[in-house]
Amino acid sequence: MEIPHVPIFLFLIAPTLNRDDPDLGCAELQSPLCNGIVVRSFLLFIGEILTIIRPRLTDHFGIPISQEKADFAIPFLDEDLPLYVDPFLLWKSPSQQDQALHQSMIYAFRSLITKGSQSERIAKLQKISECSEVGLGESATRRGVKIGQELAKSILEHFEVSKQKMGTDVEHIEEVQLFVDKVSKDRISDFACVLLKSFIVDFTLDQCGKYGIPCQKTTILDLYDDRKDVFKNIEVEVPINPNDGKPILFVPKRWLRFSPWIGYEDYFKNHYLKQYVEEGAPHPGRVEILNFNRDNYGVIDRYIKNREKSFADCKNDPLFSTIPVVSAKRLLAAISKLPSGKTNNADKKYEDQLCRLLPSLLYPHLDFAMEQSRTDSGAHIRDLVFYNNKSIGLLSDLWDKYSCRQIVFELKNVKELERDHINQINRYLKESFGSFGILVTRNEPTKTIQRNLIDLWSGQRKCILVLTDSDIDMMVNVFESKQRDPIEVINKKYVEFMRACPS
Amino acid sequence: MNQDEIDAFEKINGQLESVYVEVSSLSKKNPNDAVSKFKLGFVNALLIAANDVLGDDYRPAEDFSVFDVDSLPTTSDVAFVCGQYLSCLEKLRSDNIESEFGEWYWVINKRRSESFTKPPEKLKKR
Repeated sequence: MEIPHVPIFLFLIAPTLNRDDPDLGCAELQSPLCNGIVVRSFLLFIGEILTIIRPRLTDHFGIPISQEKADFAIPFLDEDLPLYVDPFLLWKSPSQQDQALHQSMIYAFRSLITKGSQSERIAKLQKISECSEVGLGESATRRGVKIGQELAKSILEHFEVSKQKMGTDVEHIEEVQLFVDKVSKDRISDFACVLLKSFIVDFTLDQCGKYGIPCQKTTILDLYDDRKDVFKNIEVEVPINPNDGKPILFVPKRWLRFSPWIGYEDYFKNHYLKQYVEEGAPHPGRVEILNFNRDNYGVIDRYIKNREKSFADCKNDPLFSTIPVVSAKRLLAAISKLPSGKTNNADKKYEDQLCRLLPSLLYPHLDFAMEQSRTDSGAHIRDLVFYNNKSIGLLSDLWDKYSCRQIVFELKNVKELERDHINQINRYLKESFGSFGILVTRNEPTKTIQRNLIDLWSGQRKCILVLTDSDIDMMVNVFESKQRDPIEVINKKYVEFMRACPS
Repeated sequence: MNQDEIDAFEKINGQLESVYVEVSSLSKKNPNDAVSKFKLGFVNALLIAANDVLGDDYRPAEDFSVFDVDSLPTTSDVAFVCGQYLSCLEKLRSDNIESEFGEWYWVINKRRSESFTKPPEKLKKR
C-alpha cells in the first residue's frame, strides 16, 4: 500500500488505533486502513501527536513554528485562545487593507441590521454571533453558542432608537456593548470574525501554504456576501481539528487584544466611574449603567470620540508577555533566599517563583504550554511544559535526537538530588517529551547522581539536564544584560553533559 | 624574534590589554554575566593571533586555545584568560629585551636593536 502524505495518513489512521494497546509504539501497527502494513517508523510519532500536552494545531502536525514568528495566533485544538478580535485595531491600522476591511465590515453590519424584515434581520444577527472556527474567547471546548432571538431583537431595537436619536449610522460595532446587556467582548469579536470570514479564509490558506500545514476539503458556513446581502457556504481546503473534524481558521495576530479598545470594561473604569460616580459612592450595576447610556447617547458619543483620538495608544496584545527585568531579579533574589526542603512551604514557593520566571526567560525560543501539578508517591510535583519549536540548533537537536516535541521542566526544591528524583523524571520521559527532560534544583548533583545521569544516557539514550541556582542566576543575568539568550545556558549545560558522556 | 614578530606582538599585546581593562570592569560589576557572541568572536580572534605570537613555549595552557561559544563563558572567565595571556606575552617580551644605559631595547635576531621598549613588568614592580 502506498502511504499518503504523512500527516494525512496519521490523521486517517489515528482514530482506528487503540490507544490503550500496550503494544502501541513498540510493535507493528495493525490498522484496518493499513491492511496490517508494518509502519513501525511512524509509531513513535503517532504516540506523540496523540498525547501532546495542551496541543496546538501546529504541534499536532509536527510543524514547529514559534508563536513569535507566526503571523497568526496558533490555535489550540481543544480550547479557545483568550484573545479577541478588536475591530478598532482594523480602524486605526495604517494598512489600507485593514481600513478597507473595517469599512466593509461596518457596511455589512449596517446592511444586516437595516435590510429585510425583522425576523430576517434577527436571523442574520444570530448567524454572525458565533464564529467557532477561529477559536477565540474563553470556551474550554472551542464551541460557543449563538445569541437568542430576544437578544438579537434588543440589539436591533438599540440601533433603531440610536439612529432616531442621533441621526447617525453605526461607526463602531463595539458600541453595542455599551447599550445592550449580555453583549460582551467575545460577541463583538465573533461579529467581526463572521463579517470578515472571507478574508480570514484567504489568510488561513495563505498561512497554510507558507508553513505547509495540512488542509482538507470542508465546508465553511455563513460567509457573508455583501453584494447580494446573503450568507453562503463555501467548499474550501483548510486545516481540520482532529478532535472533532471541524474546520479551523487563523486570525492575524495584529487584530487581537485581550479587551477591545472601545469596550464596557474600559468605559466603566476610565470614563463612567471617573465622571459620574462620586468617590466612596456604591458602584452601580451593569444594567443601571446601560440604562444611563441609553438615556445619554451624547456621553457614549464623546467616549467613542475620545477613544478615536487616542488611537495611537491602541496596540495589539502579544499572546505572551515577559515579566520585566526588575521582576525577574526580584524572583531570583526570592529563590536564592528560600531554604531547600518543605519548611514553611518553601517547596511551593520555589515552584511558584520558577513558574513565573522560566517562561519569561525562555521566551521567545520556547513557547510556554502549561504548568501542571501531579502527585508522585504522595509528593506534590510541579512541572513546566514548553512547546519545542526548533527555533535554535539545540531545540532542533532535541527534536531530532530525542524525539522531544515538548520540553518538561521538573522543579525540585531539595538540597541534594537523589536517585528517586531521577527515576521520577525518567518515568515521565515518553510520548511528546521524548527522551529529554530538565530537572531544576538548588545545588549541583553529587558525582553519584551525575554518574547515574550519564549511565541513563549510555543505556537508554535519555538525556536529563540539571539546572541549579547558579544556572538560573546566569539566565537572569543574561536576561538583564541581553548579551546572550537565557536559553543558551541550557545549551551550555547540554554541551557539558554531552562532553561528559562516553563518545 | 624578528621585526615582523615584534610588530605582531605589539599589536596583539595592545589589543589584549584593552580588552582586559574593559572586561575586568564588567567582571567586577557582574562576574556571572555572559559575554556576547560578537565580543567573544573578537576575543577569540585575538587569542588565535596571540597563540601564534606566543608559540607552544609561551602559551598559558596546552589544552586551551580559544573560548567555546556554546560554553557561555562569563566576563570573569574572559578577564581571567586575558590576564593569563598578558602575563605570558610579558614573559615573552622580557626574554627578548635588553637594557643599555638605563634604556630597554628589543633583541632582534639575537642582537640588540634600536627599537625602544618599556622595562620588564617585574622590574617595574620592584
